[in-house]
Amino acid sequence: MNWTGMLSAAAVHLEITFAGVLIGTAIGLPLAALLIRFPRLGRGVFLVIDAIQTVPTLAMLTFVMLAFGLNEVTVVVSIVLYTLFPITRNAYVGLTSADAGIIRAGRGLGMTPLQIFTGIRLPLAVPMILTGIRLAVVAALAIATTGVFIGAGGLGMLIWRGIQTRNTTMMLSGAVPVSLLAVFFEFSIGLLEKKLRRI
Amino acid sequence: MIGVTEFIDTVVRNQAFILRSTGRHLLICAAALLAGTAVAVPAGVLLSYHKKAAGAVLTVFSVINTVPSMVLLGAAMILFGLGVAPSVAVLFLYSLLPILRSTYTGITGIDPRYIKAASGMGMNRRQILLGVKLPLAAPSVISGVRLSAVYVISWATLAAFIGGGGLGDVIWIGLQSYNFHLVFCGAIPATVLALLVSWALNRVVRAVQKHVDGGVTS
Amino acid sequence: MAYGTNYVLKNIDLHIKEGQLAVLIGPSGCGKTTTLQLINRLISPVGGRIIVNGSDISAADPVQLRRNMGYVIQEIGLFPHMTIRRNIETVPRLLGWSRERQTARTLELLKLVGMDETYLDRYPSGLSGGQQQRIGLLRALAADPPIILMDEPFGALDPITRQSLQDEIMRLQKKLNKTVVFVTHDMDEALKIADVIILMKGGAIVQSAVPKELLRHPANEFVESFIGKRRTGSGTPETIGDVMSSRVICAGPGMSAVEAVDLMRREHVSSLFITDGDRRLLGQVTIADLQDAGLSGDPVLSEFTHTDIPALRLSDSARDAFSLMMHEHIDELPVLDDDGRIAGLVTRRSMVVSLARAVWQGDRRD
Repeated sequence: MNWTGMLSAAAVHLEITFAGVLIGTAIGLPLAALLIRFPRLGRGVFLVIDAIQTVPTLAMLTFVMLAFGLNEVTVVVSIVLYTLFPITRNAYVGLTSADAGIIRAGRGLGMTPLQIFTGIRLPLAVPMILTGIRLAVVAALAIATTGVFIGAGGLGMLIWRGIQTRNTTMMLSGAVPVSLLAVFFEFSIGLLEKKLRRI
Repeated sequence: MIGVTEFIDTVVRNQAFILRSTGRHLLICAAALLAGTAVAVPAGVLLSYHKKAAGAVLTVFSVINTVPSMVLLGAAMILFGLGVAPSVAVLFLYSLLPILRSTYTGITGIDPRYIKAASGMGMNRRQILLGVKLPLAAPSVISGVRLSAVYVISWATLAAFIGGGGLGDVIWIGLQSYNFHLVFCGAIPATVLALLVSWALNRVVRAVQKHVDGGVTS
Repeated sequence: MAYGTNYVLKNIDLHIKEGQLAVLIGPSGCGKTTTLQLINRLISPVGGRIIVNGSDISAADPVQLRRNMGYVIQEIGLFPHMTIRRNIETVPRLLGWSRERQTARTLELLKLVGMDETYLDRYPSGLSGGQQQRIGLLRALAADPPIILMDEPFGALDPITRQSLQDEIMRLQKKLNKTVVFVTHDMDEALKIADVIILMKGGAIVQSAVPKELLRHPANEFVESFIGKRRTGSGTPETIGDVMSSRVICAGPGMSAVEAVDLMRREHVSSLFITDGDRRLLGQVTIADLQDAGLSGDPVLSEFTHTDIPALRLSDSARDAFSLMMHEHIDELPVLDDDGRIAGLVTRRSMVVSLARAVWQGDRRD
């Protein structure tokens, strides 16, 4: 059982995953905020994001590979594209969920649009944003696993090599950690969401 | 890296392979989805009668869906070997959760007034289910099927790696031989298929929703 | 009947006669809805018996029982995915009626409430709340059940629609000779429509009586306050508005005498009030004036108008109106607003009607 191999693969895997999720969030959240400001863009933007979501993962990886090559960067970029859907959509729903009455109250108190955004909409949207992040992380872990087929490293590599060489131990050394990671993030972020929702 | 004329050339040269793979892809997706719907919808209905169990069941299935598909595909291969059957089995398993969840929330989310009126008028449980609950939950159920369909089409590309065949085969052979034109001969049909099915089922959901809300007239 | 360790109904003993419109009323939590739901077995009793038409309903199949009773709820609950026709035909369908019988019955029901066939193929979402609840009523009547249960059916509707549907249910109940058990929290509604009112509180029946009896001899303070709280707009007339009628027949000064006579004949009045374009009172013309004059030369009303007529102001009290009428032997007094425009008419009849209301506190079925 090659522990160092597994740990280094896990490290690469997590790097790819979180690089993608972080960039995706950095783009997705401001995008959602923008759509609050300019709602008319919403239809077009969501159409594009929905379409991206629908593209099969492996196919998407090959399309992105055209631009970035057979390496980890392709996987990260693909993750960014896929996380746009859960992050932007959930953030948008969360930001628009603020009660109209509360907003009116804020405006009446003399809050500027920016203050209304940061003081009312954003805090109320946090649970939903977390949901989006949770969905993004779980999806990203899966995409990173598939990344092995276009030459990226990560736990997917261990699974695939294990399948190819009928080496069950190797396969499990990839499968078990990635499954545990997925379930871990799903539950821990989920718990955080529940806690914050009570506020 | 790729040119249009070379691409068309590749398509023509490999058309038999591409068509065969597309056919196989459609087959395993359809099989998994149909089986999944046939099991998940009644299961969702059952859960709606036992709400206490629902939480546990939905959690179990969501764990299954959280695990990356490659893991389950690999496990299936180890347990059942290569081939179509293990692939369809895994795809079937994955297709369950979205449909199960959407059926359950669809039924439990119905405005209670309709159930109250129906049972007060003397409909029995079966009549309420068939005449009121399922029609009103239909948009939600179909929405879940749409989601499952998109997932299944995507995961089916990976099923190729455990001998399931399908467009994943085309992509894989392309990658192995650095024939990127061939890669797209697999990637593009898979994408088109997913987009088409998603759009079509979306239209169905919308049409059914309109009917549930009260027809197209007045 | 119990929820948890709380008994919602405590030993009630209730008899409703066939053909009556019985109203269950009381404050929230008094058990009126629970009582209703015991009748069609949506709820089962912990102890005691419920007898419908001589048989104990605990022995009957609840589904069959309900198909034999009409049920109308506050939320209306018309099935949104079915046409109006399908909605109405729900129970007949369940009972296995033939298509012809169903259709005939549906058309018959529509005629009962004066709605036409074009409604049949529409969907509930295309109808207003009042129309929806009318259909809800028809749906309950469809299989011609002897008993109709109604749980605050008009509570979600606006006051005007509510009035109209109250009139409707009273009319239908009498015409079709149905036994209706009606739950409400609105005392005005109860007093208006009920044959017998059953007032409940805390799971027990406080008083059960015909409306007149309830008003005249309330059993205790609670009953008094419940009536008193809910009653609005009855009692001694105070303002002119309380005693006046809004029906005033006016005419312009340029109207020909011939036309004026015809108008008076048609409206069954013996005088016309002459007003200008702004409804400002100019004078009055009586039928006597016109009969004395000849019809030569096509005379107009301005020739006959008495300009100096007594009138009341809106700000006057009802008592003033009464005094003026009695002392000056006047039959009708126009009521003017601050700008001199006609706002209404106080006649002997309108005065008598409002005084009668105050004395007998009843305008239910007059």
